Amino acid sequence: MTSGVIEIEGLRKTFHSLRRGRRVAVDGFDLLVEAGQVHGFLGPNGSGKTTTLRALLGLVRADDGRMRVLGANAPEQLPQVAGRVGAIVESPQFYGNFTGYRTLRLLALAGGVPVARVDEVLEQVGLADRGDERVKGYSLGMKQRLAVASALLKRPELLILDEPANGLDPAGIREMRDLVRALAANGVTVLLSSHILAEIQLICDHVTIISQGRRVAAGPVAEVLAGFDHNEHLVRADDLARAEELLLAAGLTVTGHPDHLVVSGVPDPTAVSRTLGEQGVWVRELTPLRPDLESVFLELTGTPAHPGVPRQVDGSAPPGDPAGDQEIDLGMRGVDA
Amino acid sequence: MNLIRAEVERLGARRFVQLMIVLLMLAFGVTAATTLAGSHQPSAVELAEAQRQAAANLRGLELQHERCLARDRGEPLPDDEGFYLPPDCSELDPALRDRLPVAADYLTGVFTFTRQAEPLLYFLVAYLVLFGFLVGASYIGADLNSGGVVNLLLWRPRRLTVLGAKLGTLLGAVLTVSVLATLAYLVTFWVIAQVAGYPGPTNVAFWAELGAIWGRGLTLVLLAAATGFAIATMGRHTAAALGAVAAYLVVWELGGRIVLQILEVARPDQLMLASYVGAWLAGEVRFWDSTACRTVTDGYCDGSYTLTWQPALAVLLLLTAGLSAAAFALFRRRDLI
Repeated sequence: MTSGVIEIEGLRKTFHSLRRGRRVAVDGFDLLVEAGQVHGFLGPNGSGKTTTLRALLGLVRADDGRMRVLGANAPEQLPQVAGRVGAIVESPQFYGNFTGYRTLRLLALAGGVPVARVDEVLEQVGLADRGDERVKGYSLGMKQRLAVASALLKRPELLILDEPANGLDPAGIREMRDLVRALAANGVTVLLSSHILAEIQLICDHVTIISQGRRVAAGPVAEVLAGFDHNEHLVRADDLARAEELLLAAGLTVTGHPDHLVVSGVPDPTAVSRTLGEQGVWVRELTPLRPDLESVFLELTGTPAHPGVPRQVDGSAPPGDPAGDQEIDLGMRGVDA
Repeated sequence: MNLIRAEVERLGARRFVQLMIVLLMLAFGVTAATTLAGSHQPSAVELAEAQRQAAANLRGLELQHERCLARDRGEPLPDDEGFYLPPDCSELDPALRDRLPVAADYLTGVFTFTRQAEPLLYFLVAYLVLFGFLVGASYIGADLNSGGVVNLLLWRPRRLTVLGAKLGTLLGAVLTVSVLATLAYLVTFWVIAQVAGYPGPTNVAFWAELGAIWGRGLTLVLLAAATGFAIATMGRHTAAALGAVAAYLVVWELGGRIVLQILEVARPDQLMLASYVGAWLAGEVRFWDSTACRTVTDGYCDGSYTLTWQPALAVLLLLTAGLSAAAFALFRRRDLI
């Protein structure tokens, strides 16, 4: 048994169109979000993130797979738990001629939420002074805030946010981060899809990475990153060529660069300083190279940029390819585990 | 109930709906103003003269009928030169005429309610049919296109309930507007007739006929609204409904009619939706079938035929119900992306 707030197992979705033919959007995808997590959901453009979220929320019919939200089978039993789930999917659109207040008021009315809650959420997302303005006058960031406000109206137990930082300025991104943290501190489980990997790393405690419709990594952020920690260290020394010779002679793996060396497979950096110091080569810098989410993401999804080569949207590496490597599942229990 | 309330507010707040109502009021105002300006209350002399002319005309009709009957009896007709007497005298029987001459027929520059109420009501019904169709199509078309439906489904993940609530709200709102508009319209022109025109002789038959047109007109307005809603739902866009109607009119009502005439298909009007709309609204419509008398070489041949309101209602109901059922079935299964 699991305590999954969101459980997705073997989700498949293929779109068919006369013009583009058959396109597999999600191909046996698994996702487990447990209560209290702030869970990052990452993937390149067109990898199946939004399709997954839409399927989970009953907006897209899955071809196969099992989904549960707050213990209810999705989409059949979604109406039972919809009042506890706040969600925004991609960039939500609103009627331009309605004010922000009216937009939320109508949603509150339709959802049976007290209208007084509208003022609270407008305050919460920083739109209290702009609620009486028409949405068509809002900037992209303000519309995004309005969307988040609509998701918060229900006081959700589960918040699903698809690219909530879209269009936000740096201050807005920080506010969004603080808001998500505050919600998480109050026990709200958050599933957050974003392209801003640094943000995910700052906010999320768990992460799932999707590429070409399949999960390529999942688990606590720290453990996913640790899985890509090759114990590399950046080394700068007064005589770089001599330092490289000495380290190679000591049996270490060294990659040379014009102004520094990268030494791999060194759990203890004192081995580097000792090896060089004993031969009279003085170390000027010895910095551990820890992987960040961006490098892990690019490595897993096979989407690093190559100068002069425009990457196509569907150009990420499929799981199992050398770039995609094997799926990494760290600290995640299986859905049926 | 909350959903209906929210939808009523959403519909009422739509700019397009407000614009159409303003246009309705404008057309109403212009018609009333021009009627008021071009009419005067008939003087006792004018009225007496009109009544005298009506009585004289009625007497003339009776005389013609009597002459015809006298001819059948073989009695001499001293002064019947210049008058055509049909073989069947019932054609001249004043009692069998649709209407007899009345004083209002001989009043010039006088708005007579009993003479002009019907065409005025037809004009309003035509506007309301357009109003219902366009509002029905744009209400759901804009909602589907803008993502408003997706927003709503995140709150109420019951597709058929949401679509049903929207259709119900639309029909209720259109009916309310139509009833109020037609009542205000007829009352206004009744008052104009009282103060600056001539009400005319009203009786139970007149009000019953006007009431029947009113009822059939309102039904047609509702059917048009549901049809616009259904086509826009299937096409996901307001333009789909407009395009479908334009295509139908050009391809079938114009092009198809020409082809059917070339092929000399019997009773082509029976295959045209416009015929059923006309038959429903007017109670019955007579058409002439040019192919019916092709084989008749001598003697009388009546190629006319009648469409009555009963089959017209059946056709219109079947069409609307079929389109609505298709729209609901499609919406239930569709991927909302």
